[in-house]
Amino acid sequence: MTIALSLPATTPAAREGRVGFRQAVAAEVSKLASLRSTKLLLGITVLGTMLVTFLSTNGAAHHARQWYQGFGWDPTNQAMAGLAIGSLALGVLGVLAISGEYGSGTMRSSLAAVPRRETLFAAKATVVGLFTLVVGEILSFVAFFFGQAILSTGVAPTAHLGQPGVLRAVVLTGAFLSLFALLGLGLGLIIRHTAGAIATFAGVTLLAPILLQTIAGHPAKYTPAIIFAQSVAAVVPQGNQLSATIGFVLMVLYTVAALAVGAVVLIKRDA
Amino acid sequence: MIVTRGLTKRYGKTVAVDGLSFTVPSGVVTGFLGPNGSGKSTTMRMIMGLDVPDAGAATVNGLLYDELRWPLREVGALLDAKAFHPGRTARQHLRWLAKSNEIPEGRVDEVLDIVGLTSVADQRAGKFSLGMGQRLGIAGALLGDPGVLLFDEPVNGLDPEGIRWARYLLRDLAAEGRTVLVSSHLISEMALTAERLVVIGRGTLIAETSVEDFSAQHQSEAVRVVTPTPQLMVTALSKAGARPTVSEDGGIVVTGVPSARIGEIAARASLTLHELTPIRASLEDAFMELTSDSVEYRSRERELVPAR
Repeated sequence: MTIALSLPATTPAAREGRVGFRQAVAAEVSKLASLRSTKLLLGITVLGTMLVTFLSTNGAAHHARQWYQGFGWDPTNQAMAGLAIGSLALGVLGVLAISGEYGSGTMRSSLAAVPRRETLFAAKATVVGLFTLVVGEILSFVAFFFGQAILSTGVAPTAHLGQPGVLRAVVLTGAFLSLFALLGLGLGLIIRHTAGAIATFAGVTLLAPILLQTIAGHPAKYTPAIIFAQSVAAVVPQGNQLSATIGFVLMVLYTVAALAVGAVVLIKRDA
Repeated sequence: MIVTRGLTKRYGKTVAVDGLSFTVPSGVVTGFLGPNGSGKSTTMRMIMGLDVPDAGAATVNGLLYDELRWPLREVGALLDAKAFHPGRTARQHLRWLAKSNEIPEGRVDEVLDIVGLTSVADQRAGKFSLGMGQRLGIAGALLGDPGVLLFDEPVNGLDPEGIRWARYLLRDLAAEGRTVLVSSHLISEMALTAERLVVIGRGTLIAETSVEDFSAQHQSEAVRVVTPTPQLMVTALSKAGARPTVSEDGGIVVTGVPSARIGEIAARASLTLHELTPIRASLEDAFMELTSDSVEYRSRERELVPAR
């Protein structure tokens, strides 16, 4: 038996160029696009978001006219409710983008191909961040228009992008989804195990606000989920919540912190 | 060429690899031998830059792994078991690898063909058997047509046809002038595949030699003798300077003298011989003896014998 290797015995390795950020990004795009979990989570995100936005706005569309007055009716926020699903699904996507590599052993291939870990980190964060930013913005705008359309079937006052604060709320809400994904990526880098990282992510986003609610001084307003729902996605300011800007900046800080620790762990710890 | 110098790795108090220095030249298959837990995989992981050594260094073509410009075009590696995502197809896995090092897409189909996975290229790798997984790993190693190849237990899970195929593949790769390092805990497999051996135990170097020299040095000749008068035979042999030991079945195993000499000794003492058989201690025995002090996980054979 002979094996035709069909290539010259020793192709001299290319002298020019080297594996860098551009090549690493190309590989990460290919990885993300070829994972079944990406498509699955995207499907969940889109369907879940639309369903919850429908339920939220349909339920609120048919009250008596007086109902909408006096308590700060916020049609934008009402339409954004569905994006809570997106925040969870995209956070899980961020976790899986890295924990899936550790769990399956793909990490060894990744580091064999791109041995400079800071390059690998930068490429992964860029691809996950930009991809979820695009998904988040599309989702946010679609949910907004869809929600207003449902609200307009009833007597509820609706919002449009020209009103003060509405465009900002929709844009920041979309970007916030990307931050959830990057927070997941950071936790995945630190914890490495899918189950542990998803549990931590869920704890931070779902459990923390509930636990903190019982403490005086409303510390729950500093948690990502409350910032998302009450500050960033709100047009009508709500009592005792962070402003949209401060809330958004705080979430950026959380995300940067998680990514920074994650990057150090990736670079320093044995793969 | 792969060179390690004083390579050391500790995990807590355990020293997995201890001051290991060896050289893997190009053009021949080098077998990397040692019992389970002797530090073979850890050494390979350090060569690949996956684990950082506590002391010493490993270089490939004179460079640390992360200094290589196009790593996959210079080094191909099949490390312990699976290094691919079960959700991707074989082709998808190879495609992203190719993109990372600007390897032409056409090469993906070529390596799939070389390892015989063309027909299942679009099936998810999670459904692959152990042997198919190994083949996909080998395809990944060959993708960049590298001059240096590392294979950690490549025949694990392969069927007999696959083992034969892998053996020829490794030899062909070396014959093309590449550097090929193959780890195994089976010396019999290495005797068929490798020309050179690096033998380690408990993370330290035991031998760095050619398979030929290793066999010559460590294989002892012995002769089995059966006679109706073993006591007299043992006395005669001992007087003549041989080292006889009586085995359980009543035969005598003699070392130190060739079989012709034993025949002469018997004739001079007028002893009857029923059997005079040269026996060769296998390479396996030699390997076991050599590494017996450094076996990490030893099975206790006696416990398997039922109590009387």
